[in-house]
Amino acid sequence: MMAGKQLLFEDVKVGTALPALIKHPTNVELFRFSAMTWNSHRIHYDKVYAQSEGYPDVLVQSHLHGCFLLQAVMDWVGPRSRVLGFRWQNRGIAIPGDVLTCGGKVIKAESGVIECELEERNQKGELCAPGWARVELPRRG
Amino acid sequence: MSVSIPAVYEKVKLRIGKTERVKLGTIRERDFQRFAIAAGNSDPLFFDGAAAKAAGYSAIIAPPLYLSSVMGWEAGPPEEVLRSDGTGGQEVAALPVEGLRLMGGGQDLEFHHPVTDGMEVTMELGPESVELKDGRSGQFLVITLTRRYRDQSDRLLVTCRETFIAR
Repeated sequence: MMAGKQLLFEDVKVGTALPALIKHPTNVELFRFSAMTWNSHRIHYDKVYAQSEGYPDVLVQSHLHGCFLLQAVMDWVGPRSRVLGFRWQNRGIAIPGDVLTCGGKVIKAESGVIECELEERNQKGELCAPGWARVELPRRG
Repeated sequence: MSVSIPAVYEKVKLRIGKTERVKLGTIRERDFQRFAIAAGNSDPLFFDGAAAKAAGYSAIIAPPLYLSSVMGWEAGPPEEVLRSDGTGGQEVAALPVEGLRLMGGGQDLEFHHPVTDGMEVTMELGPESVELKDGRSGQFLVITLTRRYRDQSDRLLVTCRETFIAR
């Protein structure tokens, strides 16, 4: 967590990379995330059921992939920035024990607002979730 | 299970553009803080009032994905009415997808106003589109649901378009 660290619009330009955020999803994390989101889909907590659908283990929730990507953005831009828009797509599965790296780069910087292209990849480099964010940053002075 | 995907497609198509409003109740900071903890995120904006105020907010804020990640706000449904895959709440706006396997495909969100403790939130939801596609393992549907979350003064908080794959 980067409490208090604040990115300013003048600090970034097109091509600036986000620092990587690394996540290690666990069974406990998936269970608690399902509980808190009232998500009773068995694919996230019932390994036998997940295997019956052809998966190797229970799956990281769609929304948890989104949370990881958005955390990478918010940790980087700091508390006085405002996320205006965000999207992600679930392209590949992730399971407990995977190592997920979230990062990206700035693709547009204009009038105090940046747009970032995001991606979450597993330890094999496979794309789990591409994403995009639009963030308003404070300016220097 | 033999479900005709084209038949489901036709049924879902009839629902396009129809929306319903659901009262979600009062947003509580313990709930959204648990959501943050569950996702491994201890951002002070979600936990520390002084940090949130220093950042220009009136109070601690909910993680931006909190509202759109919670798949059911009601007390139920009881276990015996869940689908065989465990789903069965409000996640697909009561669309007629019984017998199909559902996967979340991602969300596209606009954040209009921060969500804070004590807000009374209402959600307007409905299917925006449905597409019938041919994949390597057969036909499937791509369903996009739109959800708009508003507070007690009807102020728009979050707009979310979520895609589901049904096969």
